[in-house]
Amino acid sequence: MITVEGLTKEYGGTRVVDGLGFEVRPGVVTGFLGPNGAGKSTTMRLILGLERPSAGRALVDGRPYAELDTPLRRVGALLDPHALHGGRTARGHLRWLAASNGLPQRRVEEVLDQVGLSDAAGRRIRGFSLGMRQRLGVAAALIGDPPVLMLDEPVNGLDPEGIRWIRALLRGLAAEGRAVLASSHLMSEMALTADHLVVIGRGRLLADATTPDFIDRHGRTRIRVRAVDPDALASLMGRSGLDAQRVDGGAWEVTGAAPEEVAALAAAERVVLYEIAVQQDSLEEAFLRMTADSVEYRAVAA
Amino acid sequence: MSTATPFTAGTAVRAALRAERIKFTTLRSLWITPLVAVLLTVGLGAAVAAVVGGEDDSFAEDPGLGIHYGLNFGQAALVCFAVLLFGQEFSTRVIGVSLTAVPHRGRLYGAKLALGAAVALGAGVLGTAGSFLGYGAFVPDSWDGPALVRSATAGVLYPALLVVFCLGLTAVLRSLTAAMGLLLPGVFLLSPLLSGVPGVRGAAQFLPDRAGQYALRYADDPQVVYGHWTGLLIMALWAGAAAYGGLCGLRRHGT
Repeated sequence: MITVEGLTKEYGGTRVVDGLGFEVRPGVVTGFLGPNGAGKSTTMRLILGLERPSAGRALVDGRPYAELDTPLRRVGALLDPHALHGGRTARGHLRWLAASNGLPQRRVEEVLDQVGLSDAAGRRIRGFSLGMRQRLGVAAALIGDPPVLMLDEPVNGLDPEGIRWIRALLRGLAAEGRAVLASSHLMSEMALTADHLVVIGRGRLLADATTPDFIDRHGRTRIRVRAVDPDALASLMGRSGLDAQRVDGGAWEVTGAAPEEVAALAAAERVVLYEIAVQQDSLEEAFLRMTADSVEYRAVAA
Repeated sequence: MSTATPFTAGTAVRAALRAERIKFTTLRSLWITPLVAVLLTVGLGAAVAAVVGGEDDSFAEDPGLGIHYGLNFGQAALVCFAVLLFGQEFSTRVIGVSLTAVPHRGRLYGAKLALGAAVALGAGVLGTAGSFLGYGAFVPDSWDGPALVRSATAGVLYPALLVVFCLGLTAVLRSLTAAMGLLLPGVFLLSPLLSGVPGVRGAAQFLPDRAGQYALRYADDPQVVYGHWTGLLIMALWAGAAAYGGLCGLRRHGT
């Protein structure tokens, strides 16, 4: 488990991470969301002890990362898919990593197989595509079979097949009881992958909730209705006092009412409906609404 | 998820050393450069001995100069080796991966220094043995003298001290290009050049390579104010200071 408490990092007077606090719990995929420059990567580097916090702390199983003896057995991390020496082979890179934490060399072949790089294991990394580098980075993160995984933008540079693969992998790792933290600026991707969300903007915590809760709170629920006689529906919507808006092709969207209410109203007024559907905002829409509400955040985005 | 087997401080150090050894063997540029250093040292030393060995006056006065002549060139490859060994971790940002694998800064850095010193010691043994044999083959009965043991010892230790010095400075500079740009011309050009300038000669003799090379020589140089063994000690102090500076740098910075 990762615990972040009051974590703050300043660079030359600018707060990149500002009093951040959250937990990454086992058994779920926690999505770490925020626009580019929100402080996601810096937070991850602080957790790994690659940067020193200006204030606060980040703990892995109750201890600072730098104090772990065999950190690769505790936390697997993928931060920078380009941090590889092009002259080494994929196998060579994993071999020294395994040795550094006293892991058996058979783990090298196991993780190469797990990420589908067995055939390229003997090739120099220089010739690898970004997708292959990402896979090698994931292999490196998995080598110690760690209960905690932390991946920065893991879907970057992957093709659609690779994105499906990483999604299934992350969900599978969480299902095995591991704590998984994955950052992304792609909301739609996280909506499909993450059970829990930690949202930051300008280094501050904006939300820490389960994905459905987050959408419930910050997204809108609308009822989309369409009638055989569009004019009758328009007139009904005008009279009803409901918060209704005309959308495309004679359809209307009603917010702040239950679908039964709308259906009953239409029946009473003898307006024949042929479509009535509840529509939920996507995570992306919810995220944009929340950030639009946050004055502080808007000042940053501008 | 693996159950963590107990990991004592000793196993942790051995694991870090093993990782550094694999890093070294899996990168061609790292194991070729010390090999080149040995070949240059032995090959050029023997070639010069074959051509001018017997007739050269300065070699006749000080066989140490002739025996270790090839090291003047071999040390350039040693500097490249040391700078590459650590510098490429900064240039490729692999240092971040290394520090996540071995977060204890002193342990990672110590393992790196130990690997570099061990490889350089090996190169020193081969280079020195080759130099003595090569020179002796072309200039018979030239080794003898009370300085033989000291000169041979210095020949073995000089590469290791040079590599530790360069590794430390690379860790201070945290950059492959900066370290290469400073050290290669520094050792190969600047230091010998300064020793020829009358005004600064007095100070230049305290430069690490000058001091270390004095221990290789058989004859005394009236212009050098310290003894032969002291020269090796001065170089060791430089290496120690650079190594300590690198450790401080590594501890202060993130990656």
